This record gives sequence, C-alpha cells and structure tokens, in this order.
Amino acid sequence: MKLTVGGNVKEFKEGLTVSELIEAEGIKTPMYVTVSVNDEFVESGDFASAVLKDNDTVEFLYFMGGGH
Amino acid sequence: MPDDIVIDAAVDITDVVCPVTFVKAKVAIDELDDGQALSIRVNDGEPVRNVPRSLKDEGHRILRLSDNGDGTYSLIVRKTG
Amino acid sequence: MAFSNEQLERYSRHIILKEIGVKGQKRLMTGSALIIGAGGLGSPAALYLAAAGVGRIGIVDADAVEISNLQRQIIHATPDIGVPKIESARRKMNAINPDVKVETYHTMADGKNVMELISNYDFIMDGTDNFGAKFLINDACVIAKKPFSHAGILRFQGQTITYVPGEGPCYRCLFPVPPPPDAIPTCSQAGVIGAMAGVIGCLQALEAVKYLARAGKLLTGVLLTYDALTMEFRRVKIPARRDCAVCGANATVTEAVNCVTAPVCEGIDI
Repeated sequence: MKLTVGGNVKEFKEGLTVSELIEAEGIKTPMYVTVSVNDEFVESGDFASAVLKDNDTVEFLYFMGGGH
Repeated sequence: MPDDIVIDAAVDITDVVCPVTFVKAKVAIDELDDGQALSIRVNDGEPVRNVPRSLKDEGHRILRLSDNGDGTYSLIVRKTG
Repeated sequence: MAFSNEQLERYSRHIILKEIGVKGQKRLMTGSALIIGAGGLGSPAALYLAAAGVGRIGIVDADAVEISNLQRQIIHATPDIGVPKIESARRKMNAINPDVKVETYHTMADGKNVMELISNYDFIMDGTDNFGAKFLINDACVIAKKPFSHAGILRFQGQTITYVPGEGPCYRCLFPVPPPPDAIPTCSQAGVIGAMAGVIGCLQALEAVKYLARAGKLLTGVLLTYDALTMEFRRVKIPARRDCAVCGANATVTEAVNCVTAPVCEGIDI
C-alpha cells in the first residue's frame, strides 16, 4: 500500500501499524515523537494498535528546543 | 469642463520625492470619507507620471489634472472605496 | 495620529503595500511585542520589529553576550562580549529606529514573572532555547489569552507555529508532555547553522507584524518546518486537541510553571 510519510510517497506492506512504521523509518526517538495520521493525532499508547491504510498521510513531529 | 468640483481637502506633495509622493497622497486620501475629493499639488516629472496612475490603481477616480504653469500640477482625486 | 515626512519616508515601503497601508502602519506604531530571549531567534526578530516601527518592544534575557553567540545571534557584535544581551539589543534596535520604545528585562522568564511580563504586550515571541521555557510561555499565553509565536531550531532544521487564542492548537496540543531534561540535544550539543536563526526568527517577525497590522494569514494550526539541507519548506496541519491540558475544554494546567526545572508539575506526568 502507498503511504505519504513526511511528504514522501512510499510503498509499505498492508496492515502496517504506526509502531511498525516508526521502526521501518528508523525514528531515533520514538518516545518523543508526535504522530499524526490524516491530520489527526495518534496517541503514543495507540501506536502498536493503530493500523495504517492505503493512501494514509503520516507526519512525524519532533521537539526542536534551540532558539538561543 | 465644469469648474464646480467641491474640494474637501488639499495636500502638497512637492516637498518629497517618489515613492514618498504616493505615500503622502495615500495618507491624505485615507483621511477622507468615501466620495470626498482631494486636491494634490504634484511636481512635474516622475511624480505627475506616477501618482495619478498609482491612485487610479487603488481604485480612486481621477477627476482632473491641470498644469499650474510653475512646474507643478493640480490633481483632483475622488476617494472611491 | 499624523505621520511626519520622515516617518512617511521611513515606512514608505510598508505604506504602499495594499495589505499594510496607512492603517496597518499606524497599528504597528501603536502596537507592542515581547521577545523572550535575545539570542538566535530573538536577534533577527528584534531588528525587524524595530525596523517595522512596532511602537513598544520588550526584550527578556538574563545573559551577557558570549563569543559563541556571535555565529548566529546577529544583533550582538564582538565589542558587546560581556555586555547584557538586553542592553546590546536595545542599542542596535534604537540605532535602527529611535521612535521605537525598547523595554528591557534583565531576567529569565519563570513561573513567578511570566504572567506579568506578557500582560503588557499584544504579541509574544518565544526566542528561548529550552523546553521548560517553551512550555512555560505556551501555558502562560494560553491562560492569559495572548497570541504568540513558537519556534525552535537545531542543526539544519527549524520549525515555527503561531498560537492565536481560540483559533487553533497550542504548543501542548503538538507536544503534550515536555521531554526530560537531557532527552533532546541542544544547539550547543548538536550544533546549528547560523543563518537558520535568521530564517526562522524572521518568519516569527513576519507573524508578529502581520498580527499587529492585521495582514494575511497566520500560521495558526500549521507547523511550518524548514530543512536547509534540502531547502524544503513544509506546512504540516496541526489539529487542536480537545483534551489538551492547557487549552482544552477541561484544562488541568491553570498555572504557568517551568515543568522542567520545577519539582512538581500539576497535571503533567513527566
């Protein structure tokens, strides 16, 4: 199935969960990332059970603390 | 041409250069109510070429442009919108 | 309020813009903004807000200028090393525009002073470099119903989002819980490309000017991210969380505290 992840369209296996996508994408800090699927947040407690569908859009949002 | 246009305010923009000429005219016309007329004293050259056109682009109506014979023009504009 | 010929000339490039015009410039000149942090982000923001003629600009910073700041904190210069940042900033801002009233606060924003600091300004800018301060500013602005610009930069990346009360998510909607103190690298640990501070700080200044002048669309509900290595800007839609601890219907955060430095943080599970 096709997923748009961070603006890029990629192929993934059917039935992929958010947790599995985080691993597949090599996200370094999975405990501090905010995930939205189709513009709705997915709670971190639901990462393992949230199943992604064909044409879903996923965004990974990271803390960025610097400013000084 | 009828000489019965009622002037509600006047501004002299001969003391500044472009684009401040347009800015000053814009500030003056901003003070008026819709439909009122502003008389603007404009220098020959760049100002008289730019200011009427810029005001027209903003939607205002040019009523009259007349040569004062001393290197300046009198521009009458009706505030529109 | 009449413009002098000098002010007409100074702000001419603003006034001829349809979206700013005479009304917008007057709003800027009677408006106010508070910049918390006179560092990487605060530097360009302060310079451009002064240039724009924002009537009153507050700057909050407890630090003095250090040499490592100069790679990106563009309002400070070599002769300012050792000088309080607020003083260095004020001098440059008034050199650009003597009409602007610069109000300086030689302190860090914390739970005791943040509500009073923000109360006197129309728009708040987060130019801080740590999460404790970022959450503090967010919570304070939500509680006080003040619009603010949040931003962060690291390495070759930056991001910014604007909060306007009642018009979209706050920072906590995006990140409900602050990370532990050493979980995310800081600029001093991971580095940051100097001009990134300029790009993002200037975007913050634009948001402030647009808010005060009532021009254009703000980044409400949109996180603008920038990757300087690929030169890609992205707009990521951010929904407001109904159950957000500070801006949600049943808010549990009713007081702004620094969650990272404070020993106890009510309603937040760190």
